[in-house]
Amino acid sequence: GRGGMKGGAKAVIEAHRHEGVFIARGKEDALVTRNLVPGVSVYGEKRIAVENEGDKVEYRVWNPFRSKLAASILAGVDNIYVKPGSKLLYLGAASGTSVSHCSDLVGPEGAVYAVEFSHRSGRDLVNMAKQRPNVIPIIEDARHPQKYRMLVPMVDVIFADVAQPDQARIVGHNAQYFLKNGGNFVISIKASCIDSTAPPEAVFAREVKKLQEMQLKPKEQVTLEPYERDHAMVVGVYRPPPKKKD
Amino acid sequence: MATFVLYESAVGYGLFEVTEFDEIGQAVDKVQEAVSDLARFGRIVKMTAFKPFPSAADSLEQINAISEAQLTEELKNFLEQNLPKVKEGKKPKFKLGVFEPKLGSIIQETTNIPCISNDVVGEVIRGIRANLARFVSVPETDMKRAQLGLAHSYSRAKVKFNVNKVDNMII
Repeated sequence: GRGGMKGGAKAVIEAHRHEGVFIARGKEDALVTRNLVPGVSVYGEKRIAVENEGDKVEYRVWNPFRSKLAASILAGVDNIYVKPGSKLLYLGAASGTSVSHCSDLVGPEGAVYAVEFSHRSGRDLVNMAKQRPNVIPIIEDARHPQKYRMLVPMVDVIFADVAQPDQARIVGHNAQYFLKNGGNFVISIKASCIDSTAPPEAVFAREVKKLQEMQLKPKEQVTLEPYERDHAMVVGVYRPPPKKKD
Repeated sequence: MATFVLYESAVGYGLFEVTEFDEIGQAVDKVQEAVSDLARFGRIVKMTAFKPFPSAADSLEQINAISEAQLTEELKNFLEQNLPKVKEGKKPKFKLGVFEPKLGSIIQETTNIPCISNDVVGEVIRGIRANLARFVSVPETDMKRAQLGLAHSYSRAKVKFNVNKVDNMII
């Protein structure tokens, strides 16, 4: 019937290979995050409550068609680097649906510095952040990190979904300001946003090269099929420590 | 020549002296090396002064100015009180590293304090950002709370017409 995952009693929660991410096993399996604000849905997503030795814990279903980070987990990416306690700089936060799952993921000890330039989606982002004290909403252009330099500390991870032709430069710039040495980046690349005439693989390869030039060393690349068309997620490390000589 | 660096945070303005700036300032990779070595960074960068913002309203005023590269009266006073005096007709024996070149040139125009902005200054500021807790006795939770409060007021002002998605009637 309506709301298949609701009612939750039948769902069993298992920890995912990625720390802070869970799988709800029920009639259908779903990726979920542990709700930081029990009782509240952010964008109408389903919630699953399970009883765990008398404690009630609530999870929110994480839709891979609406979140590229969720899509990359289902695409089998080795490491998302965003985990409980992480400080995350999130570029291209939009309305904050995906940010809310990152907020669940990093938990009360972590923080998500969420940057979005559009005032329209920024409004939703600010409202969502009111209920989640680990989300720091920043309505500003990610092209000009100097404008928000008073708000952001050194972070462990940068996630970027800005869909701009110069996004490699934007991420490089933000990394130089805010990403610690040996910190990680997770970038979603939409081929058609960068060059709609070249084949996607060629676009991805070019973007990876640009990242390398800015000390962003890619370690892994996955495509987001079937959730997104011609998208790649590139993850890697910033200014990796020099290899020890043996 | 003494080199100072201005650091703007959510809780206040900081002024730091970099003791070996000219020595390390030859190549950016040398600076990166010095900055990532914690013990060494503590030796070459010392805090000269820190001015906490007195209120939330004041910190909002400061970030609004800083994000537009404007010089507030408060920042001007902070710099003039804590940097060596600039005497007329004499070439100052120090310089001030500023993150944002536009802010640097405005400081230089209004106060005659010679300012520089380059990759080396950027790397030093990166180091200060990473080690701020060692210099300023603000617990990390308080720093996070300050960033959170300031981000909300800064962002709310940007989307101020309609935080509640209630459309304004056009009459």
